[in-house]
Amino acid sequence: MHSPSQLKRDFLKQWLKGLQMCNYPKKEMSILERKKAIKLSADVAMASTRNATSCWSLALIANASKDGNNKCLVEHLLGQESERLKMASTFQLAILNKKLRSKKIIKKSCSVRRVKKLAPRMVLASSVAKRLAKNRTQLLKSLVPGGESMDEFSLIKETLDYIVSLRVQVDVMRCLANASDLLNCKGVHG
Amino acid sequence: MSNRRSRQSAGVSTSRITDDQIIELVSKLQQLLPEIRNNRRSNKVSASKVLQETCNYVRSLHREVDDLSERLSQLLATIDAESPEASIIRSLIM
Repeated sequence: MHSPSQLKRDFLKQWLKGLQMCNYPKKEMSILERKKAIKLSADVAMASTRNATSCWSLALIANASKDGNNKCLVEHLLGQESERLKMASTFQLAILNKKLRSKKIIKKSCSVRRVKKLAPRMVLASSVAKRLAKNRTQLLKSLVPGGESMDEFSLIKETLDYIVSLRVQVDVMRCLANASDLLNCKGVHG
Repeated sequence: MSNRRSRQSAGVSTSRITDDQIIELVSKLQQLLPEIRNNRRSNKVSASKVLQETCNYVRSLHREVDDLSERLSQLLATIDAESPEASIIRSLIM
C-alpha cells in the first residue's frame, strides 16, 4: 500500500502530464472545455495510480476511452500501460456483465418460489440483506465507477479504495488551485 | 431441474460471505467518514447509516473536484500573460 504522500506525488505527476497535453495544442479553449479537460485528466491520473489493482479504476479508464475525443489523451497519459489496462478493463467488465446477466436470470426464475421454499436459510440471508438496504447500495453503485456490476461485498471494498483516491485527488487539486490563486494575486497587485 | 440446482447453489454462495466480513468492511468505511468519526461513538452507528453517509461523502467529493476544476479553468483563462508568476504557472500546466 502506498503512503498517502507517495500517492499524491504519483497523482500530481500524471495529472500535470495530462494538463500539459490538453492545453498545449489549443491555446484558445472555452472555460467549459478547459474545465472538462482538467477534470478528465485528473480522473484518469487518479485511476492510473491504482495500476489496475482495483475495479473502479479500470471502469473509469474504460468509460473515459469510450469517447473518441478523450481516447488520445487517455492513451498518452497511460503510455505503455494503456493497452494492457484497456484490455484488462474490457475483459473484466465482460466477465462482470456475464455474471450479472446470469444472476438476473436466476433471480427472475425463482423470485416467487424463494420466499416459500428457502424459509430457514432466509434468516441468515436476510440478516445480511438487512444490513445493506437495497436502495442505499443502489445509490452507492451509481456513484462508484463500474459499481453496477459488483456484488455488495466488492462494492464496499471498492468504495473504500475509491474514497481514499478521491481524497488524494481533492487535496492535490486544492493545493494547486490555492497556489495558482496566490501567484495570480501577486501578479495582479505586486 | 437444472434451474433448481443452480438456484440453490446461488443461495449457498451468498451466505458464504459471512456477517463478520461485512461488519469489518462497514467499520473500515466508518473510520473514513469524517462526520461519523467526529460526532458519534462507533458502536451506535448502524450499517445503513454508514452507507448513507458514504454516499453523501462521495457525492460531496465529486462536487469538490468539479468546483476545483472550474476554479482552475477560470484561473488559467484570466491569467495575466506578462507577469513572472504567470510564467511559472504556465510552465507547470501548459
